[in-house]
Amino acid sequence: MTLPVDDRELESLIELSRRSRARLERLHEVLTSPGHYGAGATQAQVVYAENKLRLLRLLDDDGQPQNGPPVLFIPAPVSRYFILDLMPGRSFAGYVAAAGFDVYIADFGVPTREDRFCDLAYYVDGLIRRSVRAIRRTSGAAEVSIVGYCLGGMLALLYSALNPGTVSRLALLTTMVDGDVEGGIAWIAHRMGLAGESYEQPRLVSAIEIKSWFEMLAPGSNSLIGRVSDLWDRLDDPPERLRDVRTMASWVDDVVPAPGRLLAEMHRQFGPGRNGLMKGEAAVGSRKVDIGNVTMPVLSVSAARDTISPPEGVDAIGSIVPQAEIVRLRGGHVGIVAGRAAAGLWPRVVDFLGSGNGSGTDNGNGSGDGNGTGNGNGSGTGNDSGTGNAAPERGDV
Amino acid sequence: MADETSNTEPTLVERWLEEQREWQKTTLAYLDSIVRDEEFLTHLGNAMRGSLLAGKPYPAPVPPAASAPESDFADRLDQVLFAVRELQGQVADLRMTLDEIRAEQGKSGTDAEPAADASDEGDASDRAQRPDRMQRVDR
Repeated sequence: MTLPVDDRELESLIELSRRSRARLERLHEVLTSPGHYGAGATQAQVVYAENKLRLLRLLDDDGQPQNGPPVLFIPAPVSRYFILDLMPGRSFAGYVAAAGFDVYIADFGVPTREDRFCDLAYYVDGLIRRSVRAIRRTSGAAEVSIVGYCLGGMLALLYSALNPGTVSRLALLTTMVDGDVEGGIAWIAHRMGLAGESYEQPRLVSAIEIKSWFEMLAPGSNSLIGRVSDLWDRLDDPPERLRDVRTMASWVDDVVPAPGRLLAEMHRQFGPGRNGLMKGEAAVGSRKVDIGNVTMPVLSVSAARDTISPPEGVDAIGSIVPQAEIVRLRGGHVGIVAGRAAAGLWPRVVDFLGSGNGSGTDNGNGSGDGNGTGNGNGSGTGNDSGTGNAAPERGDV
Repeated sequence: MADETSNTEPTLVERWLEEQREWQKTTLAYLDSIVRDEEFLTHLGNAMRGSLLAGKPYPAPVPPAASAPESDFADRLDQVLFAVRELQGQVADLRMTLDEIRAEQGKSGTDAEPAADASDEGDASDRAQRPDRMQRVDR
């Protein structure tokens, strides 16, 4: 009897077996090692809570808040807040706090079924307005700077237009204002049936449905086979790199459900074909929004490779807020806040927040470069494992 | 005198058998983790879907009842619950206003504290009485 394989084939089989086993051992190591997943990286205290909202105030290593001017971070309510405070050494909010600002983050939490009735007014004239009020009371400052990310930026812009006297500076990150620009999550959601979402009889739009809209931005890239294949290839990476990927995956894949009424109203007012913000027809509840009230300094940042908020739709703010400083960074939607391209964003935002009030920082000048990361599954983290929240360098990933 | 056997490379068959023993160890490590840690199975399930999501299962389709009320009764209950959430916010506004009034009274001077001035956001008690926020409950 002869062996069915010759020596060379057996040799290659052994090597294949060894490599596969090594990958599975690495996966086991990553899955069993503790890590920082699913929560903010920086020590914080809750200074205000309402329904699912927690208003977090970041603390330093000694458990004390910073004494600088207050800054409120507003993330998109359809995703988890901790992308802004991802992990030690890679926290945007932590970086701003380390520059001396008194940083607050609105964690909108995870909506449940009764929250499907939450509308724009509930967020803007309710949760955000009271959060700003709580910050003013806590900090003693008359005005608060706001940093809004993605849809959170839209909420921040509307709030600022309605309450301009309470906002000192406004930074909008990848916030799409021109709903007629094709592409992006709003356009996809429109194509996928958001137009049929009922304001009067809203659903709680499930996380998997929202996730499917994001996946449609890159059809095929997030198929089961594609995801598994991508992860299998990644298992050659060092464990520390995989732990970073895991941290990011714990944000990317942890989409939260969204109030159908909010989405219906957003679509009805700002979606493709409506474009109420650009047309000056926006309203929050019964209050008409006059974007002309946004007279405070505004920084609007778009990402050149952003498939969620196309940069043209973001930069369009220049035509409705003339004083807005418009910056386009290389990178993707997530990469500019938490990936490699953050090297271009974080110092620039700190400079913007610090200019005019003498606070803040010597954190560089934000050169606006950096190579962004994708928006897809498990992407976009680096291995900057320090604890000092230094802005990540371009080469550190 | 050197031991000849110690310098001898293992044969391919020996290496193959050794590789099989290593696979047994790897398999046992997985089984051990499954038995020891309930979360490990969740994480492993996520990995089998191509995600390293930690702490919770990969998002899956939810039954319709989880996102929409299954009956008129449940729908009305949800509306009442949401109305309570709105009231919670209005009460928070009132409490903040009272705190601000108290703080102003406690001051020896007469200079107003900017942060305590809610006038530019509208009067809290006025907001609490605003009817448009409540009407949706009655629909």
